[in-house]
Amino acid sequence: MTRASVVGAGMTKFGVHDTPMQELFGEAAFAAFDDAGVGPDEVEALYFGNAMGGQTENVTHLGPQVATHVGLAGKPVQRYEDACATSANAFKNAVEAVESGRHDVVLAGGVERCTPETGLDTDAMTRIFASASHRQYEQPTGLTFPAVFALLTKRHMHEHGTTEEQLAHVAVKNHGHGSLNPKAHFGKETTVEEALDGPVVADPFRLMDCCPFSDGASAVVVVSDDLADSFDAPVDVTGVGHATDVVPLADKDTPHVTQAARDAATTAYDQAAVTADEVDFAEVHDCFTGAEVLASEALGLVEDGQGGIAAAEGRTRRDGEMPINASGGLKAKGHPIGATGTAQIVELTKQLRGTAGDHQLSGVECGVAHNLGGDAATTVVSVMEGRA
Amino acid sequence: MSAQDDIELPETLSYHDWAAAVREGQLLGQSCNDCDHVGGVPSGACQECGGRDLTTVELPTTGTVYTETTINVPPEGFQERGYQVVVVDLGDARVMARIVGEHVDIGDDVSLSGFIDTDDDHPAPTFEPDD
Ligand SMILES: [Zn+2]
Repeated sequence: MTRASVVGAGMTKFGVHDTPMQELFGEAAFAAFDDAGVGPDEVEALYFGNAMGGQTENVTHLGPQVATHVGLAGKPVQRYEDACATSANAFKNAVEAVESGRHDVVLAGGVERCTPETGLDTDAMTRIFASASHRQYEQPTGLTFPAVFALLTKRHMHEHGTTEEQLAHVAVKNHGHGSLNPKAHFGKETTVEEALDGPVVADPFRLMDCCPFSDGASAVVVVSDDLADSFDAPVDVTGVGHATDVVPLADKDTPHVTQAARDAATTAYDQAAVTADEVDFAEVHDCFTGAEVLASEALGLVEDGQGGIAAAEGRTRRDGEMPINASGGLKAKGHPIGATGTAQIVELTKQLRGTAGDHQLSGVECGVAHNLGGDAATTVVSVMEGRA
Repeated sequence: MSAQDDIELPETLSYHDWAAAVREGQLLGQSCNDCDHVGGVPSGACQECGGRDLTTVELPTTGTVYTETTINVPPEGFQERGYQVVVVDLGDARVMARIVGEHVDIGDDVSLSGFIDTDDDHPAPTFEPDD
């Protein structure tokens, strides 16, 4: 069932930007406004995501600042902070707002700056990222975010025989995809040999298993089902599932199954009345190569234990049976934390309209976005379909 | 050698109780009186059933490595590189810890060996491999 429709979508190139956050967000928001053919007068509220501005740039009350920049001053703005799932959470709330009739037209999006342009070096940014792990029971061990997903992936490797070479195939695939996407942080292909030759960050992850620090913004105009037909190119949001899991990681029942993703996917598929078999493509949260393996299984797109094999066999490549991360994913497109969730929605919108350009997939009608936060303790799964 | 005889376990387990116990070579968790679930660290409610009738329990100080990674790019505040972080399966519960000594693999037997205090006076338990 249609819960809401996306009628406008915009994003900056992800990469390194020496640009204040309101200007970055403005670029994405104005692109979404223009795509939808709306101005700020018609937009009733902003659902805005930014995860780390307080830590990275000493900016905490960013909602009205970005609203002012895009001409929405005076409108209600709510700011979401949910680690890497920040703007998917904003999007979920935007969908609920138009579905419930509270608003008819809203803007959802996010912005983040994570590169050394913030003035922070790798050690400092690594510590800020680690703030999404448990302060008392995880951070004191010296845990980092690559290490969080390394712990999940190592257990998956132990149970299912997933190999470092299979992980490298995820990186190679997503870099290949990213080379077709002009918005991607990395435009260069890589090889399995190159990936396996990189320095170890947190084993089994080498440099090429990890997404980059990126700056960027994304935004979508979300409208009610009733209004959607008055826009040129609506794409329907038919399901949004949102679930959480126990924190800290050690207390999760079976950490590597990423139960929150399974629960969120079940909810989203039920709402959309689709099964995983009916999904044509997916954008998943590949902050690390192992995370894509876990996500592809949790969403039911690949059989449990087969995520690494599927990547190595090309089944999840853009020309495979289940294209995953045709945008390049976080791995190659980049991961400006608070912008990542709605950037996935931008990608689904463009693919389903058939306007994704060089990285367009053929004949896609149903797409899924999977955006997680922290150690996968928050996951939002969204299903989008072309409007009939 | 067990500290259990000497230390009275707190009725309601707080972080400060847990941290003090780690400094004394003891791992404290909570057992739910409604569903028997055991949590590896203090919580206000049972993670399985939401019940608040929890009994503080002393967790075993030996276990097996459930998963592990070696971190070469540390966060600010941690000077060394190449340290190993593990999740240890203690039977009823699991705990995250640092390995001191030889590298361990999943399934290896390990024992509580002490704690590190690198992070602003927040202790983290350390384990070492059994011979
Ligand atoms: Zn219980």
